[in-house]
Amino acid sequence: MVENRPLANILTHAVLILGVFFLCFPVWMALVASTHGPEAMARAPIPLWFGDQGLANYREILSGGVAHAGGVPVGKMMLNSLLMALGITFGKIAVSLLAAFAIVYFRFPFRMGFFWMIFVTLMLPVEVRILPTYDVMVKLGMLNTWSGLIVPLIASATATFLFRQFFLTIPDELVEAARIDRAGPMRFFWDILLPLSRTNIAAIFIILFIYGWNQYLWPLIITNDEDLYTVVMGISRMVNAGESRPVWHLIMATSVLAMLPPVLVVLAMQRLFVKGLVETEK
Amino acid sequence: MAHLSLKSLTKVYPGNVTAVEAADLDVADGEFVVLVGPSGCGKSTMLRMIAGLERITSGTLKIDDKVVNDVEPGHRNIAMVFQNYALYPHMSVRRNMAYGLKNEGKPKAEIEARINEAAQMLRLTEYLDRKPRQLSGGQRQRVAMGRAIVRQPAVFLFDEPLSNLDAKLRTELRAELKALHDRLRGTFVYVTHDQVEAMSLADRIVVMNAGRIEQIGAPIALYSRPETRFVAEFIGSPAMNFVEGVLGEGGAVLVSEGREVLQFDRPIGLAGSGFVVGLRPEHMKPSKGGFARLRFRRVFDEQLGADTLIHGTLDSGPTRVILRVDGALHLPDAERLEVGVAREHLHLFDPKTGLRIDT
Ligand SMILES: Nc1ncnc2c1ncn2[C@@H]1O[C@H](COP(=O)(O)OP(=O)(O)OP(=O)(O)O)[C@@H](O)[C@H]1O
Ligand SMILES: [Mg+2]
Repeated sequence: MVENRPLANILTHAVLILGVFFLCFPVWMALVASTHGPEAMARAPIPLWFGDQGLANYREILSGGVAHAGGVPVGKMMLNSLLMALGITFGKIAVSLLAAFAIVYFRFPFRMGFFWMIFVTLMLPVEVRILPTYDVMVKLGMLNTWSGLIVPLIASATATFLFRQFFLTIPDELVEAARIDRAGPMRFFWDILLPLSRTNIAAIFIILFIYGWNQYLWPLIITNDEDLYTVVMGISRMVNAGESRPVWHLIMATSVLAMLPPVLVVLAMQRLFVKGLVETEK
Repeated sequence: MAHLSLKSLTKVYPGNVTAVEAADLDVADGEFVVLVGPSGCGKSTMLRMIAGLERITSGTLKIDDKVVNDVEPGHRNIAMVFQNYALYPHMSVRRNMAYGLKNEGKPKAEIEARINEAAQMLRLTEYLDRKPRQLSGGQRQRVAMGRAIVRQPAVFLFDEPLSNLDAKLRTELRAELKALHDRLRGTFVYVTHDQVEAMSLADRIVVMNAGRIEQIGAPIALYSRPETRFVAEFIGSPAMNFVEGVLGEGGAVLVSEGREVLQFDRPIGLAGSGFVVGLRPEHMKPSKGGFARLRFRRVFDEQLGADTLIHGTLDSGPTRVILRVDGALHLPDAERLEVGVAREHLHLFDPKTGLRIDT
């Protein structure tokens, strides 16, 4: 559609620019705040431009941690978050690929029943099943462990469903050709299904990594061991640090750091993602 | 190489759909057999049962005297070429061909040698490192054939391999396939719904209809002596004309609804109520002579160059008739023509059972 209606043009652009502003302003504020000293954020005109404390702020949180928040170094929390997010992402992708593989390519009793069960759990967010899951973790003695942090979040109905939909688009003849070429089920999975799913895996990786990175409630419940603190938890603890005033400049610096890994993942995966899209084969 | 034997092979799909019913077929070592029939007659189902892609409901399937009903496709020593190529899209041509051999655990050097030989045979050498999507349809199908050849299977199976290609390419690849068979001396089972393809490729043709084998025979045998009306109609292009009626007085005339439709020189020596007389378009001569004669009402001509097809009906009724005459022949511009057919070119069928009646 090529239309030339200046008024509509101006209006749509105005709406879009407004949207961009609302999205970007908080990020901008976080960046700005992380470069000022402790008092700047508490004074009336909040600064809108960078200060000169940036280097010092970042050095402080990366080396010592924020004393008011248990003093866990931010670097350590970032690493914890990364491990948890990667664990959840890889776990989810592995489990959901296999689950979708089973549902699409094997005839077993109650196959559709299982599919619908998985599908229904799509509608149950973590928060709904958090108490029973916590109970299970307690009984298994998995509180304050990495596996307790990661394993319960690994099942993913969404990813299973998406992979199933993708597998269904792969022509039957390809499966049959592979059977004739003496590829057993797992070999078919590795040699054909997995390479063909590359683009989809990259896309889902982004979504799941961000999901994992942003987990808050579950780590909060399952750990009270500082060695397992994640950065999202850390930020929240800094904000609610008892009697003392929140140290906004440090909190914002931590937030900026916490935003980096998801951004990096998107940038890295996007390249693969776009390449995959351009190379679309079949 | 190997021979193949089907004994009352039956396939019933869920929902009680009988796709193939009690098929018996023996394919000799090195034979090129073509399964042909209209859409939905069960050709693919039969081929897929041979391949092991479809469970056999009942009957036995033997490859080289070994019952393989319950053997996995990869272990039946067969290779298959699909209509839509079914190449692995993420693998190069070379890896596509190598994949089966790798799974069999063949040594690298041998895989390489076989691929090079097949690539040369199929003129694919310069494309070995391309991905399937970088090839044309014809090249893709040659890669699929290459993937079959390198396996050196006992039986080659083809399911309409040329149907996705344009007419010119189809003719080209048909010739190539024929040459390939001569060279490999392999046992080929080939499915098509195109009777020209069947006629030009096959040592023997299997005509199928509604899940059943109608007739098995050499192409020329099917053409000159079809056992059923279905086969008569299916083999040959344009299709055979059929004139239905009962023998009139003296037994030398065929009557339909009180009107004479066909006259014979002398009684055809058959009693009985009704007949279907089959006449091939190319055997009908616009002349006064001939053993059987009919009057033809011409509607339009279709000039194809070498031949001219004359479309029309019987003068006596609405039965449609096509004549095929030499393109160089100049016919009078008349609407009505006398047409004659020689004795040996008459085919008689029972109108109820459709079976051939010998005279
Ligand atoms: N999976 C299936 N389930 C149920 N019925 C099936 C199935 N596959 C095929 N059929 C039926 O079996 C019959 C034979 O099918 P088949 O595919 O063998 O036909 P075909 O001769 O290969 O036809 P075409 O020339 O169109 O490929 C058809 O009536 C079809 O509807
Ligand atoms: Mg078919």
